[in-house]
Amino acid sequence: MSRRLLFATILLIVLVLTAIAFLHGAWWAPFVAGIAVGAVSDRARVAIPVGAAIGLLAWGAPLVYEQVQYGLGPAASSLAAIMGFGHQGTIPLVLTLLVGTLLGLTGAWVGSVARSWLPVLQRATSR
Amino acid sequence: MTADPAVEAPIRTDKTQAAQGPAVGRRWIGGFRPSRRAINPVAALVVSAAVLYAALFGAGPLPALGPAFNPVTGAWTMAAAAQVGNETLHLAGLQQPVSVSLESDGTAHIVAQTDHDLFLATGYVHARFRLFQMDLMRRQGEGRLSQVIGKAALDSDRFELQLGLLRTAELEWSQLTSSDPSREALTAYAQGVNDRISEAESRHQLDAMFKLLGYEPAPWTPIDTLIVKGDMTQTLNFTDTPLVIAQLDKSLGADLTSEWFPVLPPNQQSPYDPGPYGAATSGPIEAMSQVSDSVAATAAALYQRLAALPPGLIATGGASNNWAVAGSKSASGGALMAGDPHLHLTLPSIWFQLTMDSPGYHASGVSIPGTPIVLIGHNQHISWSLTDAQNQQTFYYLEHEDAAHPGQYFWKGAWQKYKTVSYDIPVLGGPTEHLAVKLSVHGPVITQRGQTTSVWWAGNLPSQDLDALLRVGQASNWQEFRDALRDWHSPTHNFVYADDQGNIGLISAGYYPLVAAGQPWLPMTGTGEDDVTGTVPYDAIPQVYDPSDGIIWSANQRQVTSDYPYYIGTASNFFDPGYRANEIHRVLSQGTAAGGKLSAADMMALQTDTRDFLASEIVPVLVQTLAGKKLSPSESAARDLLANWDYRMETNSAAATIWSSFWQSYLGETFDPWWKSRAVSIDRQEVNDALGQDLEAWTLGDTANRAFTSPGSGQRTAFDVILKAFHATVGTLTKSLGSAPKTWTWGRVHTRELENLAQISGLSYGPRADRGDANTPLAAGGDPSTHGPSWRMVVDWGTGTFSGIYPGGQSENPASSWYTNRVDTWWSGLYAPMLSADQASAAKATVTWNLRS
Repeated sequence: MSRRLLFATILLIVLVLTAIAFLHGAWWAPFVAGIAVGAVSDRARVAIPVGAAIGLLAWGAPLVYEQVQYGLGPAASSLAAIMGFGHQGTIPLVLTLLVGTLLGLTGAWVGSVARSWLPVLQRATSR
Repeated sequence: MTADPAVEAPIRTDKTQAAQGPAVGRRWIGGFRPSRRAINPVAALVVSAAVLYAALFGAGPLPALGPAFNPVTGAWTMAAAAQVGNETLHLAGLQQPVSVSLESDGTAHIVAQTDHDLFLATGYVHARFRLFQMDLMRRQGEGRLSQVIGKAALDSDRFELQLGLLRTAELEWSQLTSSDPSREALTAYAQGVNDRISEAESRHQLDAMFKLLGYEPAPWTPIDTLIVKGDMTQTLNFTDTPLVIAQLDKSLGADLTSEWFPVLPPNQQSPYDPGPYGAATSGPIEAMSQVSDSVAATAAALYQRLAALPPGLIATGGASNNWAVAGSKSASGGALMAGDPHLHLTLPSIWFQLTMDSPGYHASGVSIPGTPIVLIGHNQHISWSLTDAQNQQTFYYLEHEDAAHPGQYFWKGAWQKYKTVSYDIPVLGGPTEHLAVKLSVHGPVITQRGQTTSVWWAGNLPSQDLDALLRVGQASNWQEFRDALRDWHSPTHNFVYADDQGNIGLISAGYYPLVAAGQPWLPMTGTGEDDVTGTVPYDAIPQVYDPSDGIIWSANQRQVTSDYPYYIGTASNFFDPGYRANEIHRVLSQGTAAGGKLSAADMMALQTDTRDFLASEIVPVLVQTLAGKKLSPSESAARDLLANWDYRMETNSAAATIWSSFWQSYLGETFDPWWKSRAVSIDRQEVNDALGQDLEAWTLGDTANRAFTSPGSGQRTAFDVILKAFHATVGTLTKSLGSAPKTWTWGRVHTRELENLAQISGLSYGPRADRGDANTPLAAGGDPSTHGPSWRMVVDWGTGTFSGIYPGGQSENPASSWYTNRVDTWWSGLYAPMLSADQASAAKATVTWNLRS
């Protein structure tokens, strides 16, 4: 199996596991997924954006679904009010997406670092 | 290509350095220059730790971002939770299927085949829409707010645990026998609430506030319901008035305090029960005496402690209306009834509207989430509503102690040991606080400083009020209604009644404590002589049934005349000054005079009546005083506006603004010099209701009263002060609103706000210009006014029509269309029909839930 195929396979598994965990309330799943991506990818400049994208997708996709199903406007406006941002609904929206993105990004970063410090990870995914 | 990003690092570092120029002059601590290989993991770990920390624990004002903003299970689920559709739901504990119909405005109609299922389903429905509100209310009463809010709520928690709502609720629960209907209702209701908690947790549908605060609600218990009832009792009748009067007495002196804060009202009022009354079984009350320094100091310390508590824990005067018109005086031929309890207007509202139907119980109206019954409403035969009766139910006792008897107090000739109860108060973000509460025979010791003081409060008497309300809901005539209320203790309420036979009644049910001796409006001695010895007999409490004039009314005024043989409270800060009651009485009397008949539309108009009765008495005197006086153009214009005014506090009325400002100025010109010269520590605004009654009475009948000749003012009469106050008023308004009096409209200076229950200003409604003031039947005191008609109901038994409205909506979810959907209707003075369950299920856009076991 080529490295790219291995990476893609692992990425797919990670995405599925992240989605399942996330749907059960595991908000930290993108962070773990990011670690996995960082650990298997041999290039941090690829792993970190991919990790961020996983985070963004994990936290953003349900919001898109809720927007289509119910409309997020009143909820976003209410959350902004609760947080003291008046009725600027975009603020909690951006904050939410930012949290997801940062979780994935930092996870991938940690994974990349771990990979560079743990030769066993390099050997396992470099063949 | 290398597989190790760390190997790539030096190349990128060099590029970066090249871009930044030579690294000449860069200094590292101790000469150590970390490599990229070292910086990268440290940075990764630090940044990741920061992100995870913020996600787990929050940052600054932000909640724990991970769980709180998780789009699948966090606060965003409020969007999905706001949707309500047809559903089949499975609830543990149901005996038979139950149907719940939800009208397009959210009104719930619950139809059950057993009483048990009715209460269970009511618990479920309440929790479905108001679980966070219910949790806040029980936490408030149980002294558990600090657990979720932190130390900011500690004072409130300490006070509540001292006062003892929790102890009373536990005692009430323990006294219920297994066969008691209210025990079954409480148990089934708790089951329904817990069914919803389980469902919400499994579906991640808990209210957003739980997620943002980071906790899950504990299971609901019957005691929690009794606590919610206790919350209402406390907010309506736990008072600090004796502490206030003690300080006034000390600073103003006993003579002025007696004169200005009398037991009987100095002004003309409209008691609904004119007598005749039976003979009293208690002795007369002594006159006001001078309080000692130590009593005044103790009162001041306690007063300051209570004043520092969050709003709503201490009753600060009531404001509610209800009245009824006999069938013989109504256009429809059936009895009319109207009720509008005035409470803190919140979002979500204190009320939840529903119809409850089962073989043994039918009632339609409003309930308080957390309790399983309709508090104000109607059944097939009778309707009822309530106002606060305002009699004194709080007494302070100064316990006699000495150093030779530590932990004891002297009572009835012997030294007694205090009982002690201990509590642990969990505090978010801090150590658990331990609280020991001492109890004397009078009640909990709540001393802050000075002499040990305990408080006797009727709200601490175990009382099966829920049982009484269940029986009220099941009553079909006056006798059953009156019998049901016989054991009602606290808060004392004026229960108005009308039935399908054209009868009307009003009874001020509750506990009327009698003291053996002493001055109950002041802190009393705790040695036994001044103890509460009992209550006014039920047959002697204020009440009327089918009066000859065919009308009855209450608006927190003293219910009885000066002939009433029992002490029930002073005119100051217990009973209302009576202007709303006078106005209601005036309208009802005029409407039924000379064969006149009233209609439901008249009742609705009266509920939104903005005529200020006090203004109708004082403004003519003011205008007369100004006659022939030299006035500026603005003052002349202001006088002309007042002279042509109809005394209605409408938003477009400039005269309303001038009147309101004048009255405040008149009070200040009369009393502020006294306050200053006698160094009165009580804020005059706090006792304005009492002082206003005096000023009204003097202006109308004692214009040379010595109060007008205040220290340093020289000899003055009411007219001198009126003139001075008018000049000051016009001057002040010119400065703040401009020089054209006709533009000084009431809507520019008077607003109303519906405050979010969790004090989140962005989720409140308003402030918005609004009509009315503290004296008008449409109560709107304060600016912004945050109290007022929390529910308006009008019943016409002749046509069988029931109408009601409250400001707010059925849902506490701010993303729901049912959060504020009723506000505009309420604000406009309009009503919604109160449909039966059958009518609701046939209506358009009704949603149905089928509840199954």
